[in-house]
Order: sequence, then C-alpha cells, then structure tokens
Amino acid sequence: MNALFGARTLHRAEHYSSVSRLFWLGGTIVQLLVLGLYARYGERWTRESAAGPVGTGMLLGMLGFALVWAAQLPFAVLSVWWRHRYGLSGSYAQATVGNWFALGAQFVVLCVALAIAMNLARVRRIGARWWLPAAPVFVGLTILLAFVTPWLLGGKPFHAAYVARLERVEDVHVPVRVISGFGEPNAFATGLGISRRVFLWKPIVERPFTPRMDRFVLAHELGHLAHNHIWKSVGWYALFAFPIAFLLALATRRRGGMGVPAAVPLAVLVYVVVQLAALPLRNVVSRHLEAEADWSALRATHDPRAGRELFRLFAVETLEDPNPPWWDYVFLENHPTLLQRIEMTRYWERYAAAQSP
Amino acid sequence: MSEPPVRLVVEDDFRRNRVTVFFRLLLAIPHLIWFFLWTIVAAVAAIVNWFATLIAGRPPRGLHNFLCSYVRYSVHLSAYLYLVGNPYPGFLGEEGEYPIDVELPGEPQLQSRWKTLLRIVLAIPALLIGGVLGGGVGGSFGFLFNRGGRGRSTSNGGGFTGGGLLAGICAFLGWFACLATGQMPKGLRDAGAYGIGYAAQVRAYTLLLTDRYPNTDPTTILASVARPPRHPVHVVGDAHDLRRSRLTVFFRIPLAIPHLVWLYVWSYVVAVVGILNWFATLVTGRPPRPFHRFLCAYFRYQLHVYAFLTIAANPFPGFTGRAGSYPLDLVLPAEPQRQSRWRTFFRLVLVIPAWLVSLGAAVALFIAAICTWFAALATGSAPWGLRNLMAYALRYQAQTNAYVYLLTDAYPHASPLEGEETPQLPEPGLSAA
Repeated sequence: MNALFGARTLHRAEHYSSVSRLFWLGGTIVQLLVLGLYARYGERWTRESAAGPVGTGMLLGMLGFALVWAAQLPFAVLSVWWRHRYGLSGSYAQATVGNWFALGAQFVVLCVALAIAMNLARVRRIGARWWLPAAPVFVGLTILLAFVTPWLLGGKPFHAAYVARLERVEDVHVPVRVISGFGEPNAFATGLGISRRVFLWKPIVERPFTPRMDRFVLAHELGHLAHNHIWKSVGWYALFAFPIAFLLALATRRRGGMGVPAAVPLAVLVYVVVQLAALPLRNVVSRHLEAEADWSALRATHDPRAGRELFRLFAVETLEDPNPPWWDYVFLENHPTLLQRIEMTRYWERYAAAQSP
Repeated sequence: MSEPPVRLVVEDDFRRNRVTVFFRLLLAIPHLIWFFLWTIVAAVAAIVNWFATLIAGRPPRGLHNFLCSYVRYSVHLSAYLYLVGNPYPGFLGEEGEYPIDVELPGEPQLQSRWKTLLRIVLAIPALLIGGVLGGGVGGSFGFLFNRGGRGRSTSNGGGFTGGGLLAGICAFLGWFACLATGQMPKGLRDAGAYGIGYAAQVRAYTLLLTDRYPNTDPTTILASVARPPRHPVHVVGDAHDLRRSRLTVFFRIPLAIPHLVWLYVWSYVVAVVGILNWFATLVTGRPPRPFHRFLCAYFRYQLHVYAFLTIAANPFPGFTGRAGSYPLDLVLPAEPQRQSRWRTFFRLVLVIPAWLVSLGAAVALFIAAICTWFAALATGSAPWGLRNLMAYALRYQAQTNAYVYLLTDAYPHASPLEGEETPQLPEPGLSAA
C-alpha cells in the first residue's frame, strides 16, 4: 500500500478517517439516545398542535428529527473543524444554519410519509394492516422522486470528445451535466427512462483530475445506467419497504397503532434503528452495484491505468482510507474500498491479456 | 397593567383643508429646519441626561422637561406631516396645543441604573419596529451620523421626523384621499396615529423619560380613538394566549416548511379559481358558492400558517384551513355576497392602495416576528404588544386578499383597532320599501 499511495498520504488518510469514524459513532450514539428519550417523553408535545391527529403526528415526527439535529450539531461543527485541519473543504455556516434550512426539506418528506402511513392506519377497514398498502405507495413515491430529481438538479452541459464514444460503447445515450457548489470530487447517475442523466461534480472535471480519469468516471456512471442500477436500487428499496413498514406497525401497536400521534416518536426511533441495522445489508448491495459499474468502466475504456490513478488520487484528495477496519467497511462503506477497486483494475489487465488472442 | 406613562391623545376630526394638504411638505419646511436644530440640542441633552440618570438614578428635572417638549413637538410635527392632524402646529411642543398630542410623565421618574446603562442596546428592537411603524429616535438622530447627506427625506425613510414605513404609506395614500374628498379616511388616520404613538413611546424610552418599554399593542396606543365598525373579514382569538413552546419556536421555520410547500401548491389552484371566480362574479353579480368556500378555506389556512410562522400563535396548524381549528382564526363571510359589477371589474386597480398598506404591515410583521422569536425563546411567551401588532398585520393582509379574491366587497380597513360590532341596520332596499 505504501508504494501505491505513498506513506504520507496513507498516514494522513488513516488518521483523518479514524477520527471521522469517531464523529460518526458519537453522532449515531447521540441520535439513538435522543430518540430513545423522545420515544419515552415526546408525547407531551402533542399539546403544541392544533392540527388534528395526522398533523400532530407530523409535528411530533418533525420535532424528533429536530432534536436529533440539535444534538448532532456539535459533531457537525467538529467534523468541519477536522476537515479544515486536513485542508478539506467545509463550511461552518453550511453545517449549522445551512443544515437548519435543509432540515425543512427533510421535514417535507417526513410529513408526506407520515401523512400516508397515518391516514391509511386511520382507515377503519385497513387499520393495523396499513403497512400493506403503504409500502407500495412509498415505492411509487421513490420511483416518482427518482424520475423527477434529474430535472430539479440543473447543471451545465459537459462537452468532451469521448462522451459520444463512451455512450455508444455502453449503449446509453443521456445528457451529461456538471453541477457546481460542491467541494469534493464526485459523480452520480440518476433518473429513470427519459429523465436519466449523469452528473459530474465540478471538482472532478478540474485539475488535478485529468481527462483520462474523467473518461473513466463517466464510463463508471454510464455503467450504472447501462446495468439499470437505478431500477435495481428501487427494487431493493421495495424489498426493504415491506418489512420495515411491517416492523413499524408491529412496534407501534402497543401505543394504539400508527394512526395515533403518540405512536409517532416510537415509530421514529424504530425507523432509525431499523435503518441502522439494515446498513450492512444495504452496503453489500451498493458495493456490488459499484463494483459492476467499475467493471463496466474498464470494459468501456480499456484504461485500467486511468482507473488506478483515479482511485489513488481519491485517497489524496478526499483522504478516504484505502483499507478501513472491518466495522467501518460493514457499516459505512457503500463503495468497494480504494484498495479493492485498484485490485479490480489489475485483475482486468490480467483478464484482458488472457482474452486477447 | 398600570396606566401607560406615554399616552397618545387624538382629538382630531377627519376634515382636512385641501390647500394645506396639497402644500403640506412645503408648509412644513420651517418646522423641519426648527426640528433639525432642536434635534442637535436634544442629542447633546440626551447624552448629558444619560450620565446624570446613571449617577442620580433619576433624570434632572430641567432636562426631563426639555426632552418632553422635544418628544411632544416631534409628535405634533409627525402628525402634521403624516396628515394625522389638520392644523398647523406650534413650534414649542406645548402640552394640549395640538389635537394629536402625547401625555408624558410630568415628573422625572426613578430609573433602574442597569436599564439606563444598557438603554440604547435594549431599545434596538423598539427602534427597529418604530422605524417601520412611525419612526423612532434613531431616525431623528440619524442625520447626525449621515455625513454624506444622502438619503435624507422630509417625510419618510429615516429623515428629520423619523421615517416610518407604515405611517408614510398611509400619509401618501391619505394625501390623495384628502385632496379628493377633503377628509382623511379613518383607517389611514388611525394607522398613522398608531405609528406616531409608538414612535413617541420609543423616543420617550430612549431619552429616559420613562422606564417602561414601548408597547405595540394598538388598543393601548389608540386608547382615545373610537373603534371602527367590524369588517366582515376579521380575526378572532384569545389575545392573552401568549404561551409559546421554546422548542417549536426554535425550529419554527423548518417546522413551517411543509406548510409553506402545501400553501405554495394550493396557491396555484387558488390562482385559477380566482380567475374563474372573477368571471363568474362579473356575470352573475355573486361568486359561486363552491369557489367562495374553497377560497375561504385557503385564506383561513394561509392565516393559520403565517400566524404559526411569525409566532403570533403557538400550536402547529392543520393542513385544511378548517374554521375554528386554530387559536388565531379568520372569520370570513359564510355565504357569497352580492358584489358591484363595476367594483368587481376594476378590483385589481382598486386594491393597489390596500396592497401598499399591506406592504408596510408585512414589513412590520416580519420585524415583529423576529423580535418575538428571540423574546419567546428567552421567556417562553410572546410579548403582548407584538402579538397584537402581528394580529393586526395578519388581519389586514387577510382583508386585502379577501377583497382581491371577491370574498367580500368591503374595502380593507387600515385601522389597527379591532372592529366593533355595530347594530344591524336594515338593508337600504328594505328601508326604502
């Protein structure tokens, strides 16, 4: 690893990541503690509502996340401080006031979800079986969101000579756009059907990243679309949606069911715990999809060296630990580690050599 | 609560002389020059008074009387400029010489030294609100620090008389009304008097004439003014419901975002229904009942959301705008009312003055909401005066919206006072019969 990344980079990445992991751990523990207390005492805020049972449930749900936000604020500020120490981007204003407004957007989604669950639970014929119709509704909304999101993101068109060729090779013809406002190099593919797009974050199309690396990144993202990863993600979400909704119905039964506002604080706690518990499984799925996209990029570009350089540069630029500890890998890594990705480029070289006549 | 130490006295009728109204700004020039000079002396006196009060715990009688005259004179001059009063004021600020007058403490009062020391800091919220309603002492002294000399104004925007967006807008509109009818509309007069009364309180507080913090409650400031008849669109609610949850106050904006999104979505439908309603009312002379009910629900909901957002009310509102579901509620005509086709046709033109007043009220609402946010976080309750100022601003906006969307034919009433129930008069047609 030293030869690959350099001893200094490796040391910086390991040290930076080790403390970042502690922040995550601290934030998660605080989140669970706050939600645990809120599940116990949150009902008292019912009196702050004049919105009827469903509206009151929404208020209680929002307050739960608001309290979590407040409790995690020190960790958010510390994270920015830690990033600054390593020369990485980060804004205190964004971590505090900016997130305060972002909380509002989160609340909108939460309110929609609670409105669906609570209204269904309050229908007499459905009652405790609300999770059965609710899960497909959530899946439908996820599909709708995935479909609409690309149009909401904007961005500027990305022009490069290799785009058309890559699209031909991957058999995916979609707009490629660059979005600014981010400090880190990254890219993603999103959208369904006619809304499919690839978005490159501005830092990745700027130095020190080279056009060859950008080509590899674009091929990776087109690979996601070529292999229908967005639909597959929706499918995985659907698989999770039913059991999670069922667990919520089960957990809230003792508090009168999901139709009762007093059950919402408990539902929020259960939801967060289940999400945490499901993280390893979700990461396994995600890592599999990412590995497939990497392989697709290697096949499309025939440029394993560019991939290798790209992943090496990621370690330098983002201080991502190339070889994290097992629990980090299980809970936090939704991509293969940098070391695994570099190994894949080497494997592809051997594979391509074996395939060639 | 005990009697307020600074009380506005309004003994004026609504008659205005068209000639003096037309030339009002020019006629006021000698007063403005005099006020400018007086303000320089008052600034020096205020600083001396501050030190003296810090030492003795009570302002010296001579300085107290001088500053009282200054505040009284500023009220007379503001009233004249803002068309709240008709006669030309005297130059000495004597008590009882002008129909719009202010009663101030006759004797210097004992003052807390801590509050005296921090007076200018403590006065900042009041100065901000005063600047929007009717000007404050900061506006009066502002020119002393305005070395460039730009941005001075004689009637509005922080000039010699202390600015005041709401009073300025009312004066601007009142100028046209007075020229046309020879009368100052009561709503505009009351709103102007309200701003001037509050500004007088701010001046008295800042200049250490009283220890009592300025109060924006309209009924307190306009205690000597008769209430207008009740408007068909008005707000109801318990004005003493001042308890606020600190948690929901802190997160008020994010908590309101789902409501704002819903309001935004709903507003698109309302725009379409509003246009259809306009055509239907033009044809039939009365809005169709389904449209009327739909629009009523929307504007009721809007009031609930704005009341929640601005902390004028405490609980989280529902999403449907159901009548009676919120502690600060909007009363609208239950049934569609017959409307004049002419006034319906020109509704968007006729509403322009109301929109202007609504703008002033909205700025006051915004500032009051910010002040309430801090106060409610600190004390767990909303200040009584600010709550009532916000209720006034919300009421006026609701009346304007109801007028635009043909829920009522009654023009918005700018008076900050709640309307009074008047005995039901027989309809003109019936009495003729």
